[in-house]
Amino acid sequence: MDQQIVNAIFIGSIYALFAVGYTLVFGILDILNLAHSAVFMLGAATTYTLVVKYGQVFWVASVVGIAASALMGLVIEHVCLRPLRRRQAPPIAALISTIGLALIIVAAVEQGKQGSLFSWLWVDGANSVAFPAGTIPNPTWHVADLSLDASKVVIIPVSIALMLVLGYVMRYTQIGRGLRAVAENPRAARLMGLDVDRMITLTLVISSALGGLAGILFGVALGDISPYIGRDNVEVRGLAVIVLGGMGSIPGAVIGGYLLGLVEILAVVTFGSSVRGGVAFAALFLLLILRPQGLFGTRLRERI
Amino acid sequence: MNRTRLFGWLVATLLVAACGSTGGGGGGNANSYSGKTIKFGAVLSITGAGGVYGPQSRDGAKLAVKEINASGGVNGAQIELTVEDDASDKAQSQQKAQTLITSNNVLAFLGPTLSNSAVAVHPLAESLKTPVLAVSTTGIHIVPDCKFPETTPCKYVFRDSLGEETAIPANIKAYAADSHPKTGVLLVAQDDKFSSDGGTIVQKTVAQYNIDLLKTIPFSKNDADLSPYVTQAVQLKPDVIFITSLGGIPAKIMTAARNQGWQGQFLGGNGFNTATVSKQAGAAGTGARSASAWYIGNEFASNKDFVTAYKNEYSKDPDQFAAQGYTGLKILADAAKRANLTFTDTAGDRDKLRAAIETVNIQSPLGPFQFTSSHDVKQTVWIIQMDGAGGFKLVHEVKAS
Repeated sequence: MDQQIVNAIFIGSIYALFAVGYTLVFGILDILNLAHSAVFMLGAATTYTLVVKYGQVFWVASVVGIAASALMGLVIEHVCLRPLRRRQAPPIAALISTIGLALIIVAAVEQGKQGSLFSWLWVDGANSVAFPAGTIPNPTWHVADLSLDASKVVIIPVSIALMLVLGYVMRYTQIGRGLRAVAENPRAARLMGLDVDRMITLTLVISSALGGLAGILFGVALGDISPYIGRDNVEVRGLAVIVLGGMGSIPGAVIGGYLLGLVEILAVVTFGSSVRGGVAFAALFLLLILRPQGLFGTRLRERI
Repeated sequence: MNRTRLFGWLVATLLVAACGSTGGGGGGNANSYSGKTIKFGAVLSITGAGGVYGPQSRDGAKLAVKEINASGGVNGAQIELTVEDDASDKAQSQQKAQTLITSNNVLAFLGPTLSNSAVAVHPLAESLKTPVLAVSTTGIHIVPDCKFPETTPCKYVFRDSLGEETAIPANIKAYAADSHPKTGVLLVAQDDKFSSDGGTIVQKTVAQYNIDLLKTIPFSKNDADLSPYVTQAVQLKPDVIFITSLGGIPAKIMTAARNQGWQGQFLGGNGFNTATVSKQAGAAGTGARSASAWYIGNEFASNKDFVTAYKNEYSKDPDQFAAQGYTGLKILADAAKRANLTFTDTAGDRDKLRAAIETVNIQSPLGPFQFTSSHDVKQTVWIIQMDGAGGFKLVHEVKAS
């Protein structure tokens, strides 16, 4: 059982890190950025290609991978969100445009084969690949009865540190105050002299960088990188996590991520693998009945 | 043109054709073959879960085409092979097969790579009366009852890949005789026909060798995180972990189980039998055993020549899937040579080819090759184990009973 709890913490960390980026955008824009799962995948895919095809060191590759994801945040803002915001389109329009972008990103990577238009980005098509052995040192430590893979252990401090930094920035810095002001009332923020568009762009860049990092960690720890890792593994779960934690709440997303990891693993151990996919939804339903605003939510959102 | 003259022309044509065929030597009608093109197809999983097997099948088949065409073709006719990627998806597989049969007008085709897709593709080929030769599918009910639960034998479906119903029991029997294991746990991908069939065979077999199957742990082939299942298996401390699954999954399970300190024996099925999986498993896979239809180190000429040619062509070692793909194409070519094809009547040619495939008798990298009356392969089974460096070592040779 103990090892299973370790397993739950590992997978929970990835869910949490992914969901933090998700919830950040929602908290500030009241918009669900459904391209976030594609950005998650893009981070992992870019890093993999740089390591395997271009022979880069993992650390360099992952920095570029995160940068590429952050850049995709800019694309999301400029292509999917800003034009709609200008026209005062309802949030559902933005939701749909992000779904569209996600499909485009996944399809582009999926088409990446030797000799194709996207072969500079990805050459494995729909295949699932793993970083070659030895890309990063990955010893296994044995503590008591537990075995801990370095690649998984490192996820926990990285996730927690990043989330703490983000929490600090949001609460105590000028930028954080600006972001919160935009979240509270964009028009008032603009009247106070804040560059709202810049704040929103910043939010998407930070959120996407976190998503990309989560993707890279996922690829390293689980040895599974394909165009579909975002869609299949974190998209719906991430949604469940942020509803669970309270939409827009960063601590909520963190706790929600770990909670979902735990509930999933317990369900697998108790009932078998067939229930795994359904657990996220079951938890979601239960919580929506008992506490519709989520664990850490303060008010009920009207949209979405 | 009146009837008498038409008859005269017909007789003259037949006479010329008959004279020409004496030089053919292969039993086919060389004159009518010369300068013609024989169209074959292949529906393979080049990408997706089966992407670790399909490309080798394709490379093997392409090598055979190249060799045959370079040495004068089939009685002078050149072979044209169209390979379609089904992305390991059943619906796409069926659609690609339909295109090959109805648009490309292939005489016969190889594939599909996965048993899961074969249940859709083979009945289609049967209904369109087009011979199909499975070169990597090993599940239950591939031949002869491709329309299972209907039991009518499928006339147009053949298989040159060793079925798991033969391979898995042979592997378990050999290991039981060597090491007398007492307990086992089965990890099975429940949502894939090949994998779940393998699991069923393991469950049916273990009792014969006094192995107590402590638990069957099903999982989904789409689960990226396999750690909870591996932990469940390892905590039961079995002597053997049976893995019946596809693609990179066996390698991931082996790595996770070794990381969790488990020291027992891995036994598996056809999913192990490719260098890609052995390489991915690395040191964690050392000693993992499976039964294979082919072994690279076999010294008989038809295998040695194949291995040399493959290495020259692709600068890497072939694997079982390459050998079966290569053999598959050679089988079709041999049948085409003896089938007296007309090149005008596709449906008639397909029927002639089907009949000729039944009587194939060639030397192949798999050994001497013939089909059983139920269109399945009858051959020696090679028990191999991963060597920890991306290759395999031969452990036992089990002659066909």
